[in-house]
Amino acid sequence: MSDDIEAKVSEYIAGTILKQPDRAIDPQEKLISSGLIDSFHLVDLSLYVEDTFGVHLDDTELNAESFDTLAALAAIIRSRQ
Amino acid sequence: MTFFNILVFAAVSLAAGALPRARSWLLCIASVLAVYWLQPALPVRNLDFWLPTASITLAAAVWIVTAQKRVPAGEAGTPAGSAGSRPAREDWTALAAIGLTISALALTRYLGPDPILTPARPPEIGWVLSGLVIGMLILGGLWMLAPRRWLPAAGILVLLALFAAIKTDPFAQAAAAMLRRLAGQSAQLASPLDIRWLGFSYLAFRLIHALRDRMTGRLPDTSLREFITYGLFFPAVTAGPIDRLERFVKDLRSKPGGTAGMLTPGAERVLAGVFKKFVLADGLAILALNAALAARVAAPHWMWFFLYAYALRIYFDFSGYTDIALGLGRWAGVTLPENFNRPYLQPNLTAFWNSWHITLAQWFRSYLFNPLTRALRSGPRPWPIGLVILAGQFATMTLIGLWHGVTWNFLIWGCWHGFGLFLHNRWGERSRAWMPRLEKRPLLKKAYTVASTLATFHYVVLGWVWFALPTVESSSAVFLRLFGISN
Repeated sequence: MSDDIEAKVSEYIAGTILKQPDRAIDPQEKLISSGLIDSFHLVDLSLYVEDTFGVHLDDTELNAESFDTLAALAAIIRSRQ
Repeated sequence: MTFFNILVFAAVSLAAGALPRARSWLLCIASVLAVYWLQPALPVRNLDFWLPTASITLAAAVWIVTAQKRVPAGEAGTPAGSAGSRPAREDWTALAAIGLTISALALTRYLGPDPILTPARPPEIGWVLSGLVIGMLILGGLWMLAPRRWLPAAGILVLLALFAAIKTDPFAQAAAAMLRRLAGQSAQLASPLDIRWLGFSYLAFRLIHALRDRMTGRLPDTSLREFITYGLFFPAVTAGPIDRLERFVKDLRSKPGGTAGMLTPGAERVLAGVFKKFVLADGLAILALNAALAARVAAPHWMWFFLYAYALRIYFDFSGYTDIALGLGRWAGVTLPENFNRPYLQPNLTAFWNSWHITLAQWFRSYLFNPLTRALRSGPRPWPIGLVILAGQFATMTLIGLWHGVTWNFLIWGCWHGFGLFLHNRWGERSRAWMPRLEKRPLLKKAYTVASTLATFHYVVLGWVWFALPTVESSSAVFLRLFGISN
């Protein structure tokens, strides 16, 4: 189940946000603090998480302090499902 | 903040760190005293006493409005920290301690003609006691109203209205004239500078954060003492950073690790901050672009020189203050968030705004950019991506600009950065296709990074022309002269 969450989010980030569908996102790769995902795409990512997993990410959580890696985001999703 | 202020704050912070049992009270009372001590003297009689009092009242009022659970009658004295409880007795004690501190400050009026801890002699004790009674009545009224759901939203509107009134010259002028009449002074001499309210901007950001997070149910429950310390924490009261309540309270409730462990890291930050602020920034002040230099200098190379000096000066001044605040906080056992991370060495404007005044940018993202973008992207008819980014970046950056003051120059500075962020976003979208190929050629990648860092630095530096000067005419003239065009 957890792998499924990471796989889906990874696919969304690589394909829709980064426009590089073949790219593999490492679960520990820095996504926000590295500048890979900007503030606009963070909102899009939160909408995707909401639609796909039924989990709400608050506007105040969309920062590197709350989650900066795929693994951390997947952990938040799991904890709220 | 003067060097003497820093020395006294250092002593208080070290004492707070060394005395874990007294720390919370010490920081609260020191923060209350600091808002009076740091407040500049004002020409309107006694206003420099009433404005700090208003800051404390506002913080207490927002604590009441955001209170999540009240202790039912007969349960006062519930142990602190128990789930969903509020030690009401402790809050009454805090209220009494704050009231007594303000009264004691007022009594210093009778110790001699020179003010002690206040910028001018405080008002007569009768006036101060009357003011405290009025403050208590306001807080009591809010306590009765506090369960109403609309109250946090009303609180945000009140804070925004105060913000607009202070930052807009015609409103500030009218308010100054009214206050002068109330004080029995001539309204003809009223000026917007009459209302220099120390730390109000940063206090308002913290209070709006508390009110908004209360509305979304994300605010932790705190005691009055903790909340007042959060809102007015003396290392951060003048220039930030803007911490989040849940993070700040976590530090305040944890046991400090003892003086030894925090002495060196705190000292490093304070010394670095003092060097940046009092040596580098103050040294650069005479070389930094200002209105007088802008009118006199014609040679482009000298104009660039003064502009670079301004860019460095504003960075060293602001980041120096932040270093001092972080160091003092560290000594007191509170790790405040970082506000700067080598902003002039960033390869693009988005990265610049992730490393310049980080907590302000983060605040605007949380409470303006993200909700606005979410609304525009998820409505029944979502806006096109480009338009959403344009609207979001312009709204955010123009408001950050206007926060410094409602003037054309600050508005243009905000638009300058809003436009830059939009351009970078669009460029980033287009360059995604070939960026992986660049990654495979290290030399070319390095050259690209150097070029983009230099371009970003100069875009930011040119933006300071709008920020540093008071009028559009002088800024436009400087712009032309920088590029060798004489007007």
